[in-house]
Amino acid sequence: MFHPLDEQGAHEPGNGIITAVSSQRDAWRAVAELAARLYHPALGGVVFFCTAEYDLEALGQALSNSFAKVPICGCTTAGEITPSGYGRGCIVAIGFDGRVFSVVPALVDDLVGFDLPRAQQLVDSLLANCRPKAVAPLNENSFVMTLLDGLSSREEQVLATLDAALGRIPSFGGSAGDDNHLTHTHVFAEGAFHTQAAVMLMINTRLPFDVFSTHHLAPRTEKFVVTAADREQRRVRELNGVPAATLYAQWVGVAVEDLTPALFARYPLAVRLGDHYFVRSIQRANQDGSLSFYCAVENGIVLSAMRPLPLLADLENMLDEIKARVGPPALMIGCDCFLRRMELEALGQLESASALLRASQVVGFNTYGEQHHGMHVNQTFTGVAFGTLSAG
Amino acid sequence: MVCTLTRPLRGWPLALFQLDDEYDQNADPQALVEENRRLRKVCQALIERVESGSAANGAPYAAFEHAVLLAEQVRERTDALHRALDELNQVNAQLREAHAEAQAANQSKSKFLAAVSHDLLQPLNAARLFTSALETHALPQDAQPLVGRIGRSLKDVESLLGTLVDMSRLDAGVLQADKAPFSVDTLLDALAEEYRQVAGVRGLALHYVGSSVVVESDLSLLARIIRNFLSNAVRYTPQGRILLGCRRRPNGLEIMVADTGPGIAEQQRERIFQEFQRDALTSQQHSRGLGLGLAIVDRISTMLAHPVTLVSTPGQGACFSVTVPYGQHAPRLPGPVTARLETDFSRQVVWVIDDDPTILEGMQALLGQWGCRVRAAGTVTALEAASDGERPQVLLVDYQLGQRRENGLTLAKRLERRYPGLATVVITANHDAEISRQAREAGMHCLLKPLKPLRLRMLLTSLLAQ
Repeated sequence: MFHPLDEQGAHEPGNGIITAVSSQRDAWRAVAELAARLYHPALGGVVFFCTAEYDLEALGQALSNSFAKVPICGCTTAGEITPSGYGRGCIVAIGFDGRVFSVVPALVDDLVGFDLPRAQQLVDSLLANCRPKAVAPLNENSFVMTLLDGLSSREEQVLATLDAALGRIPSFGGSAGDDNHLTHTHVFAEGAFHTQAAVMLMINTRLPFDVFSTHHLAPRTEKFVVTAADREQRRVRELNGVPAATLYAQWVGVAVEDLTPALFARYPLAVRLGDHYFVRSIQRANQDGSLSFYCAVENGIVLSAMRPLPLLADLENMLDEIKARVGPPALMIGCDCFLRRMELEALGQLESASALLRASQVVGFNTYGEQHHGMHVNQTFTGVAFGTLSAG
Repeated sequence: MVCTLTRPLRGWPLALFQLDDEYDQNADPQALVEENRRLRKVCQALIERVESGSAANGAPYAAFEHAVLLAEQVRERTDALHRALDELNQVNAQLREAHAEAQAANQSKSKFLAAVSHDLLQPLNAARLFTSALETHALPQDAQPLVGRIGRSLKDVESLLGTLVDMSRLDAGVLQADKAPFSVDTLLDALAEEYRQVAGVRGLALHYVGSSVVVESDLSLLARIIRNFLSNAVRYTPQGRILLGCRRRPNGLEIMVADTGPGIAEQQRERIFQEFQRDALTSQQHSRGLGLGLAIVDRISTMLAHPVTLVSTPGQGACFSVTVPYGQHAPRLPGPVTARLETDFSRQVVWVIDDDPTILEGMQALLGQWGCRVRAAGTVTALEAASDGERPQVLLVDYQLGQRRENGLTLAKRLERRYPGLATVVITANHDAEISRQAREAGMHCLLKPLKPLRLRMLLTSLLAQ
């Protein structure tokens, strides 16, 4: 077991947050680097986000060894957000001080059977495990972070059920990624990586916090009605009575063969519910002319064509709003849709965005979908911001 | 790629509701057929969607829609809650304002009362000094009881006024505790002696069990608590005895005053600690007192954080007690009250500095009667001019010597440097603990106005004996 006392050790909790990042390709070395920085006697929990390129079995063992007795959970990503901005091929971790935070994770490994009674049981046990080590009133000063297998196609039901059980406790989260391979996404809890699973992490804290979500997209005039869909596969076969990929490609102005995630990012579709637009991101164009989505679709829903507004301006604006609410952030955990990152890369704005995230103490990861108050959304920047103890 | 299209899409509108005029005019039948086909499909899909309803049929999209709806409802309710909270905050702010106003009014009342009482104390102080001086004169036979009665009446006025001052000062929050360690018998011996006589006059026996335990408290405030206990015991006990004693408790020394009076009924126990509450039966016989005694005890004990307890069995008596935390060190100054009274003051030089000529005259008369060589003046210069180079043994100095002058404490320090060994007593009408603390730290003594001749005499005795 490797845990030298960091100079920021257990003496002064401060705001109770330490972040660490390692680019070591070897799982054991990477975890040793994290532990050297994070471990101290008052450590109350660790959350990490890592590339799926790691030898996940070795990584899981290394994490379990180095952080024995500390609740630890995390997931694979489509890119990391490190303390210095966007990163790739690395592992980033947050250590929560048990004197400022009470962190309780739970694993849901049966997403299909996750019904309301089970959700209620899960929430009850989260609360019961959190209560003995709570550092602030449980109902007011707690939230839940969800990490879901991003290829499970179960996000909507799981989230809606969880949200009903959580009641007033806010929740947010992200769907695990795998660097755009769309093959295997993993969540980590109870000492191992899992697929077709979810991690629910209850965090109780003395710090002021604010759960947020933003996107930078505005509606255009075009409307596409889903006239044929396969809801189990999250596939739209037809839009406006025409093969979906064909119609979409024509709107974008390219051949069906040339459709790429970068174009999906620049030409998003959204459903409108009331006054709000919720982006439904396209995952890929299939051989049969259908479009696969990152979220639930249904026959008869109306998709509005959207256009991106300046992303950086929207991001900066939202970060300012958060600072106005919780003061200078001690840390923000960001679930940033990988399509946003793709757009920033295409526009050559990744560095500017990194600078904004760095200045606001954001760490997190690029997702295959975000979760906000029980809603599964796409192409957003969603997360939680912690203020400082003095500001609270 | 498998393509199910049989007709080209080029040139056809992508989205619905975007038909442009040119297209409409040039529409060929084949295009219209195609458009008709698409519109039918769209209609069909929308109809199916509408008819399936957004009921929870387990479909993933329905779950999402449901979550959005819920989130919207939560948002609306949160907004409504915030509005309600804002209103509540406004009402709270108004209440706070009203409360602050009420408090300010109450404070100004208390301050007014404190100021008035204080101003009354000054002339009363002088009157007491004069009467004490007069008592020691050879008076005609029939004048002596009259002087005695004037003295007692003045004493009563003084004690009533003292109570009012205490009460208003406690309410105005200007009275600060000055805690220091002292041996509890320095306080209790004197109180026992004093109240043995008072009790004796009313045919009651006072039983006192001494203790030399060191406690930490404000001596004069604690004295007031116990005095109130003793006064009450004497006042409300028609016959029998009164016990003054201590008991060691884990959290401090419990000082108790027990009596064999009628006791206090359960339902009255809260009430007697409020202002102006006196037992109806006994109040007729003893018209003195405002019924403020226990209210003062309550305030002082709260301020000192010394818990007060009352145990009583109606018909068999009552026991009031106050628990005082243990102290660490022995007192720095010898308790003046333990000194003997029969010291010969003749030829002892006592200097008095006060800016009030009436007080100077009164002190001159009183101290002169005791045999002291008194030099009294308003300033040091005047004093030294009048003293023919004598070295003073004791300095009695008023703390407040007028707006623009140094205070008595500073003046005394100056004089102590010039006359090493000079003992100083600072006299003040300001009941702030701060002044007595400063005096104590400077190695001086402090007496409060109105000056009690007996206390002054005891202090002088102890100072001149050293």
